[in-house]
Amino acid sequence: MAYVIGIDIGGTFTDAFVADESGKVAGTKTPSTPPDFSEGFLTVLDELAATLGVGTGALLADTHYIVHGTTSTLNALVTGDVATVGFLTTRGHADSIAIMNLEGRYAGLGADQVQDMVRTDKPKPLVPPELVRELDERIDHKGAVIVELDEEGTRMAIRELVSAGAQAIAVSLLWSFRNPAHEQRVGELVVEEAPGAYVALSSDVSPRIREYARSATTIMNTQVGPRLRDYLRPLEVELRSRGFQGSLLVMQGSGGCVDSSDAPSRAITTIGSVLTGGVVGCTRLAAELGHRNVISTDMGGTTFLAGLVVDGEPVSTTSTVLNQYQLNVPMVDVRTIGAGGGAIAWVDNGGNLHVGPRSAGARPGPACYGDGGTEPTVTDVDLLLGIVNPDNFLGGRKQLSKELAAEAVRMHIAEPLGLSVDDACAAIYAIQNAQTADLVRKVVVTSGHDPRDFVLYAYGGAGPMHCVSYAADLEVSEVIVPLGPTAAVFSAYGLAASDIVLTVELSSPTNFPPEPAEFNGAFFQLRAELEDRLAAQRLRFADVEYRSEADLRYTMQLAEVATPVPTGDLDAAGLDGVGTAFGQRYEQLYGKGSGFAEAGLQLITYRTQAVGVLPIRPKLGEVGRSEGDAQPTSRRRVFLDARRGWQEADIYDYRVLAAGHELKGPAVVEAPTTTVALPEGSVGRVDRLGNLVIRYTQA
Amino acid sequence: MSVFIDENLSQDDTGSVACRHCTTVLGVAAHPLRDARVRVTAPQTAGPSVRAEASHFTDREVVLRQTFCPECLTLLQSEIVPADEPSSRSRSVKVVGA
Amino acid sequence: MPVFPVAGSEKFANQPASREETLRAVGDSVRLHDVDHAVVDALDPLTYEVVRHRLTSITEEMGEALKRMSGSVVVTDCNDFDAAIMDEVGDVVQVGLYNTELAASLDMAANWTLRNRSRGRGINPGDMFLCNDPWVGGGLHQNDTSLFAPLFVDGELFCWTGAVAHQVDLGGASPGSWSVGATDVFWESLPTPPVKIVEAGEIREDIEDVWLRRSRVPKLVALDLRAKIGANNVAHERLRALCEKYGAGVVKAVMRRTMDDAESRLRAKLRELPDGSWTSVAHQDSARAGDRGIYKIVLKLTKDGDKLVFDFTGTDPQVDGLINCTFAGLRGGIMPVLLTMLCGDLPWAPGGIYRCIEIISEPGTINNCTFPSGIGKASVASAWATTNVATECLAGMLDTHPEHRKRLMSVCCGTWDFALLAGVDQRGGGFVTMLCDSMAGGLGARSDSDGVDTGGLACIPMGRVADVEMNEFAFPMLYLWRREEPDSGGPGRFRGGVGASSCFVPHDSPIGGVHLVVSAPGKALPLASGLSGGLPAGTQHDVLLRGTDVAAQFAAGRIPGSLTDLAGDADLLPAHHETDLGPDDVYYTHWQGGGGYGDPLLRAPAAVASDLRAHKVSQGGAEEVYGVVFGADGVVDEAATTTRRAALRRTRAGLDTEEVTA
Repeated sequence: MAYVIGIDIGGTFTDAFVADESGKVAGTKTPSTPPDFSEGFLTVLDELAATLGVGTGALLADTHYIVHGTTSTLNALVTGDVATVGFLTTRGHADSIAIMNLEGRYAGLGADQVQDMVRTDKPKPLVPPELVRELDERIDHKGAVIVELDEEGTRMAIRELVSAGAQAIAVSLLWSFRNPAHEQRVGELVVEEAPGAYVALSSDVSPRIREYARSATTIMNTQVGPRLRDYLRPLEVELRSRGFQGSLLVMQGSGGCVDSSDAPSRAITTIGSVLTGGVVGCTRLAAELGHRNVISTDMGGTTFLAGLVVDGEPVSTTSTVLNQYQLNVPMVDVRTIGAGGGAIAWVDNGGNLHVGPRSAGARPGPACYGDGGTEPTVTDVDLLLGIVNPDNFLGGRKQLSKELAAEAVRMHIAEPLGLSVDDACAAIYAIQNAQTADLVRKVVVTSGHDPRDFVLYAYGGAGPMHCVSYAADLEVSEVIVPLGPTAAVFSAYGLAASDIVLTVELSSPTNFPPEPAEFNGAFFQLRAELEDRLAAQRLRFADVEYRSEADLRYTMQLAEVATPVPTGDLDAAGLDGVGTAFGQRYEQLYGKGSGFAEAGLQLITYRTQAVGVLPIRPKLGEVGRSEGDAQPTSRRRVFLDARRGWQEADIYDYRVLAAGHELKGPAVVEAPTTTVALPEGSVGRVDRLGNLVIRYTQA
Repeated sequence: MSVFIDENLSQDDTGSVACRHCTTVLGVAAHPLRDARVRVTAPQTAGPSVRAEASHFTDREVVLRQTFCPECLTLLQSEIVPADEPSSRSRSVKVVGA
Repeated sequence: MPVFPVAGSEKFANQPASREETLRAVGDSVRLHDVDHAVVDALDPLTYEVVRHRLTSITEEMGEALKRMSGSVVVTDCNDFDAAIMDEVGDVVQVGLYNTELAASLDMAANWTLRNRSRGRGINPGDMFLCNDPWVGGGLHQNDTSLFAPLFVDGELFCWTGAVAHQVDLGGASPGSWSVGATDVFWESLPTPPVKIVEAGEIREDIEDVWLRRSRVPKLVALDLRAKIGANNVAHERLRALCEKYGAGVVKAVMRRTMDDAESRLRAKLRELPDGSWTSVAHQDSARAGDRGIYKIVLKLTKDGDKLVFDFTGTDPQVDGLINCTFAGLRGGIMPVLLTMLCGDLPWAPGGIYRCIEIISEPGTINNCTFPSGIGKASVASAWATTNVATECLAGMLDTHPEHRKRLMSVCCGTWDFALLAGVDQRGGGFVTMLCDSMAGGLGARSDSDGVDTGGLACIPMGRVADVEMNEFAFPMLYLWRREEPDSGGPGRFRGGVGASSCFVPHDSPIGGVHLVVSAPGKALPLASGLSGGLPAGTQHDVLLRGTDVAAQFAAGRIPGSLTDLAGDADLLPAHHETDLGPDDVYYTHWQGGGGYGDPLLRAPAAVASDLRAHKVSQGGAEEVYGVVFGADGVVDEAATTTRRAALRRTRAGLDTEEVTA
């Protein structure tokens, strides 16, 4: 039997999912074990083996590959527990990472924080000034050498950085992506002057125009690369000692994975590792269910994540913001749009009720946890509205206190506003849902789409409690709550179902169209680089797909749009076709008539992605068919819709439901990992894979 | 009730204004810096931040006008202004009785 | 030629009108939607918050739509634009987080349109009005073009939406409409009072032609017109859906309550502050090329109970030049600081906030000028100086309160360092662009922390600077450096944020150079003053080095690190200047930081040491201004510092050295 395994390590839980070729699947979860996350990794493997009824050694011996989603890179950057990096850059431009294009003062902040401008600040410098050196050298926009590299000065700078404590060296010179010769020479000099030091060149890590983001990306990559290397190496040794002969793969933010030996040199690509598993899971499930366009909403205890699948592919972005720094990391576009169940409800000094964006976080968490939280959160309200069963939270793992929740709502909301606790809860629930609709809408609209063309998937502990309400507001056609055997470990399922994805890019800004030979040559170079890297992955692929795109823009306009480029060499007519495709995509994104074609086009960056399709694709097993109608296990008073108030609702136990069962709102479905709220006017049907498919008859 | 006018000045309920660093009385609500020490110097005394001579750009004389607590010599107000222009900077916080 | 009164211009000398005046003027020519106070009072917290949040998100969506579609780097990179939702008489309910100066005067333009355009062709569904007449409102100088649109629901004018953005060029004597030689408005771009450019949903081609004909970049201006139409359309579609869902009465009630809420909470905040008055002054040097004058705006801010009075009596008369601003500019100059320093935690609803303030200003003064005074750079001249003086007075007021003082800033980057480049790019195309590097000004120091270094400008919460590589790709230039400038932040116990400089040489231009327009005051004296004894930020400093040896140095493997490393004739540029750069001419422009807070001798020596390491202050600055002495190892010598500071206290106050004036 051949197995594939997905292991997703989050801050709180380590989830695992296993599938074999026959369609048998299993999942399990265990607490994460910071700071040494590998402990939890090994524990969850034991538990997974036990679930399958085999020994860990037997399981590992038959496992072709393990796909690992890790929060360690992201955590290291957020907490600052990173390698000490020395930074080398072009003379006159060291301050680029301090000026941060000035946007570093507010990048990634919410509107409420931006508005409170007096209290905004830039983050701590990426590299302290004593670890930065400028080099005499200069290359211009054409890649021409204007000033030769001062090698003696460079050697001295490297020695100075090492004696100032640098453990690793990041190099980012102006226009290095056009002509990497100086950077490569600096890299050689680092090897000579500081043998053994980890060194990263911006022309390798991120050969893209715009020096601020390129430098920040290279520096952060250098900060986490050595750490990731030191985490993966012993882990792999440990797995080998237990009988594992397959590949250990690491999930990247791009939604695809990479071999663990390749990961550390491009460590920064793993920062979205844990965020993207869910969207990949949605993509795979959507393929099974025949959904082309999906809004993925993952509402957990502390965050609300939204992503999109369009035409069967996750929507990606070419950059992201971390700690207010702009980074060039091609990744699935997963946006954090709220605080999830931890969002705090509060009354401002004008007597107006708000929900979020402040969060109770994991500590102290909602008031009902009894861990010291006194402010009311959305989770407290879900409890008081009868949606959450206090005895069945996280499958009964955590007992919730209605009294503490009610006290928090009474003190902070009900009394100040002169409302009953019930009415206060109803208002908080409705505000949370309406705001979610506003924020999800923004994600969809700014990607150039209309929410009415989408199906909405809702998962995470809290998502299904709210999804019908915000989905109706968005006018999506249908809501899917994934509830089959994958439900508890949906992200881990996504990992196990992923492929190898490698992305390479190169900026070479020019007026568009360039000569076909120049255009084809650029993609030829990228393809050759990808072929080398694929060969280094130590895997046999079922198939390899290449996708190319070019970032084009109208000369006067800011927005570059990644435009698909057909495979194979293009002639002048082919290039015109790319230009036309750009124009169409631009209009789709920014509206009809929005392109300033008269100004001409420019091509900024070439990019190619290789997808190495892995041989085993986990199949989801079907659940049993129903005989007869679904039987509620109980009834209780719930509040699901402000217009209808409190109602008696049927309560269903998901574990006794079967395919074909139809559940009419108002109703609540209690599953081991979540609770689904079905307001009046909505109908949920259990599909053949055990998912709940919800439609509503009115908004 | 006494109020802090700013980092350096406090005003008591009689309207008397004193230096917060040394308690020396400096003035009254309507003229909080009445007894403060004023010194006028060339703008360059403000430090290297004044990059060029004002005379390159204007025919009016420009000066650095600084106001100090006469006792502890804390700097209370700074301005770089045309020399012929009396200071426009003032403040007057209403006296609130005890 | 001095400004002379122009008969017929009174019609456009707009002042905010009361609701009653507006209704009288409109009469029965347009039915205005209204809602009963009872509906406002009856709003439940849920509906209010849900609809309010949606109005905010609609304003954001407008801004996004405009920004994505615009072709102006000033819009897309510098965020010099904004969008707003107004009620039926033009009171602003919600303003976007972009250039808040701009949106703050949209109300005057919409309201003027109601009073002056309701009859005749009238105001009908699907109409949109364009305006770039700063005497009417809707912008601060002619480059700020607004497009505002009435939304009709059930036959009644329900509300207005508006978008406004800086256009790169709308004609006038100099490229960029930045006529540095202007003595009056006739040198500049022609002001256009509200004109119905979109009628019943269609662009009127004849009007559009009239509009575009004046510009050096008409296609770009046409694109921006469409961007604004798009922004208004997005807002109308969503507002209509909101009215269908909740009822127009409820949506209007939420608009009213948003403004009421901003007003009542601002009043509550004001009541917590002591009554008093704060007076200050803001200067500008040079009104036009060749002018060596210094001009002042004086403000006495009086806070009485829950009301603020801004009295500009004592401000200089309007001048021959391009630096004046209209009353809309004065109001627009006040609003950004009201929003950032007093309303950081309140709804940004200027319609409510304006009710808490009164403005006293004499027409014919530099920040309330009459037609046909020159106003070509009003937004960054007298309107900006108004922001500076309002910042200082409001900060003084906030400084009296233990809690509210956390939201004060000293004056931020004292002016806009304008540098316009024009010519032929390395690909042979013509270009006109404003170099937006100076968006990265220093922010003013706070009462408990330093100002943000290269943190932006007071009026634009979300500015941006393009990467050096993007500028070098787009324009024929090569940077020697772009860097933060030591000592440019106003010294203080808390230091003002530092400004920065860019230094470049023309590179790869097919015609061997570029045309340069410079308009940047703050050279004769600093413009960003300090607080509580803190010193002003540094001066603006622009130097043109003619005929340098930069090429020889490059060939020798050296990158000059400072102006003194270069041979050549140094030309210290005045505030306003227009010239050409040759292939060996190096241009250096150094913009300002933010003002300091508190006595610099009270700054923690460790903070000065850290500033020295990070090049935020020079060794000289650290020693002379902060009185910190360092040992050979670069570590603070505490004992020597104490001694030096004691001595500095005396010498700077004139003791031990010279005769002292009392």
